[in-house]
Amino acid sequence: MRRLTRITSSRLNPAALSRAVSSARHGAAASFVGTVRAVHAGRRVKAVSYDCFAPLAEKELARIAAEAEKRWPVKVAAEHRIGLLSVGHASLAIAVGSGHRAESFEACRFVLEEIKRRLPVWKKERYLRGEGRWLPGCALHRKSAT
Amino acid sequence: MRRRIELYGRLRDAGQGAVLSVILPENATARQVLDAVGSALGPNASLLHGCVLADGENVLSAREQVPSKGRLAVLPPVCGG
Repeated sequence: MRRLTRITSSRLNPAALSRAVSSARHGAAASFVGTVRAVHAGRRVKAVSYDCFAPLAEKELARIAAEAEKRWPVKVAAEHRIGLLSVGHASLAIAVGSGHRAESFEACRFVLEEIKRRLPVWKKERYLRGEGRWLPGCALHRKSAT
Repeated sequence: MRRRIELYGRLRDAGQGAVLSVILPENATARQVLDAVGSALGPNASLLHGCVLADGENVLSAREQVPSKGRLAVLPPVCGG
């Protein structure tokens, strides 16, 4: 089966992700696109650098999608972009297809929150004025084998 | 045994660049690797607060023995999305 998760330095294509999870058996689809915002904590942002430990991030993103598909009757696709992104560019895209709306919404939210909690990705905001800064985050922990 | 340790996120600005070379005892644990990295970072060792060691497959617990081959990385708290 074609892999539906990846870490990439290329521009994201949310429409392609949505097509990848579509099915004639599905009556619902949910998607999420995260973009670089122009202002954060009162400071004007010109770009964000995304750093990533790629081998682990690829595996963790696939694990998160698999967990969602085990928990709900859904099909999940997700991509996280890395590198330097200007304001307005998409950094994260998630698409979920399912028979009914509830599981699409729930699974999409689950994948998003787990990405924020578990994916080894870091962002450094670059401001119009002054030095950039690494944003605070969520400490990782060893997960028990499942 | 000398090992290359990759640094990510805020650790890249700790003055050592993206890769650090440290000498480890045989059968070193993740805790021992982090201690060695802390010594190498000197006055910037406080940046290790909240960091973990990982290989290319998993985050390693502090008492876990590090694999003898492959990539090792110190990972600060994450903030993807």
